[in-house]
Amino acid sequence: MNRRTFLQSSTAAVLAQSLPLAAARAEENWRTFEIVTRVEVIDSFGVARAWVPLPFEADTSWHKTVGNAWSGNATRARIEHDGKYGVSLLYAEWNAREMNPVVEVTSRFMTRDRAVDLSRPASDVELSGAERAFYTAPTELIPTDGIVRKTALEVTRGAKTDMDKARAIYEWIVDNTFRDPKTRGCGVGDVRTMLESGNLGGKCADLNALYVGLARSVGVAARDVYGIRVAPSKQGYKSLGTGSPNVSKAQHCRAEFFARGYGWVPVDPADVRKVVLEEPPGNLALGDQKVRAVRERLFGSWEMNWLAYNTGHDLSLPYATKAPTLPYLMYVNAESDGELRDQLEPESVRYTITSRELGA
Amino acid sequence: MLRLVAAIVLAAAACTGAAAELKRWEGGATPPLALEDMQGRPHSLADYRGKVVLVNFWATWCEPCREEMPSLDRLRSSLKGQPFEVLAVNLAEPLSRIEKFVSQMPIGFPLLRDRDGAAGKAWKAKLLPASFLIGRDGRIRYVAYGELDWSSDAVRARVAELLK
Repeated sequence: MNRRTFLQSSTAAVLAQSLPLAAARAEENWRTFEIVTRVEVIDSFGVARAWVPLPFEADTSWHKTVGNAWSGNATRARIEHDGKYGVSLLYAEWNAREMNPVVEVTSRFMTRDRAVDLSRPASDVELSGAERAFYTAPTELIPTDGIVRKTALEVTRGAKTDMDKARAIYEWIVDNTFRDPKTRGCGVGDVRTMLESGNLGGKCADLNALYVGLARSVGVAARDVYGIRVAPSKQGYKSLGTGSPNVSKAQHCRAEFFARGYGWVPVDPADVRKVVLEEPPGNLALGDQKVRAVRERLFGSWEMNWLAYNTGHDLSLPYATKAPTLPYLMYVNAESDGELRDQLEPESVRYTITSRELGA
Repeated sequence: MLRLVAAIVLAAAACTGAAAELKRWEGGATPPLALEDMQGRPHSLADYRGKVVLVNFWATWCEPCREEMPSLDRLRSSLKGQPFEVLAVNLAEPLSRIEKFVSQMPIGFPLLRDRDGAAGKAWKAKLLPASFLIGRDGRIRYVAYGELDWSSDAVRARVAELLK
């Protein structure tokens, strides 16, 4: 048994018999997870770089980051923040002599299910003017004018409040879009193209970006939240959870809108369409009881078997040789000899993400 | 097998190599630190005023933390009789787990428990290990994000400078 194997196995043995923060806070329904992202830049030639998203930095009522650590053979490493959307990532760099670049990032975090009581406002919570401007602003792929605003005005006709508008858009997304299993990764989120082409198929980064764009275009503050599923669903939806500890392809983004008196309200119309497509036996009707239930549930609540990374848009990878602006950061990125690897292809970088709940 | 291990603190903008560097602290005021050790005895950083203190945030699941722990002990042992102390702050782990770790790696300095992670957040120790070298006046003087050989000559020179 080599040193690393010993360290890993001894850690596992200790973990198995103890409960971290979740135990102390069990009465508050917090769950503690560990996620390990291992990145190997395969066939590396020249200088290699990797960018690994880290858990959401801010503590919320539904997420807390406990800590992160990394190991590997990187010759340089640096934590980077975008300074705008709360994005944090681990940047690792290897010199040209390193033929097998490897970095492994371990993160611990806590989550608990999130639900907003939509029956009545709970407070007078409101965004500042600057915050509202920020969360109603367009991004490169989420414009708020033209066909986006035109569509949103039609969808929200007659709606008076932000809550009413947000609900109308949610119902429209569920009724008019579909999950396209052929979409690569989680999709791109090119909202204008979706509307102009009339092809409203896609995955979470498409459907929930469309939700955010429509909302923003009629003045409702909204944002995408990019992350990854880390555990099976406990709410009876096989399609809305992981099937194994290997979550390398379990990236998932959600959305929120802001309503005065309610704060940030979680929604996930994309997952309603995922249930429609994937929940056994598959291709369920919108009238199916399972679909109706999840449709109601996902306007105002999230099951937190999911890790939030960030709410970023239009991101540049620091130190990248020639990387395009990314519409979001939800995947591991890497480059070798100046060429960015395909972030939607784990095999081109060879990364694995494993997750486990501690004390479960 | 991974040969090099390192870690950095999330809040750190500073570049680190595969092994961390001890850098002059430019992060502002020193946060308070008041925690209990494994036996429930209270420890406050203020109580150590007059000593050079190394505050090391760590966790058992953090490989670089485990790797550097023996060098912390070597540093402390080498400075026996001098006004120097190490306070190792475990980040939000249960006592049973810390005890198991200590049974495998005996150490001679106090292990404090940051049960809810509040101290770690105040000290911006989200990526581990995060180590802060405190001067005799109680203020942070140097910081290291990641694994460091605390018994190296370079580190000992910094500590000696603070002990003057």
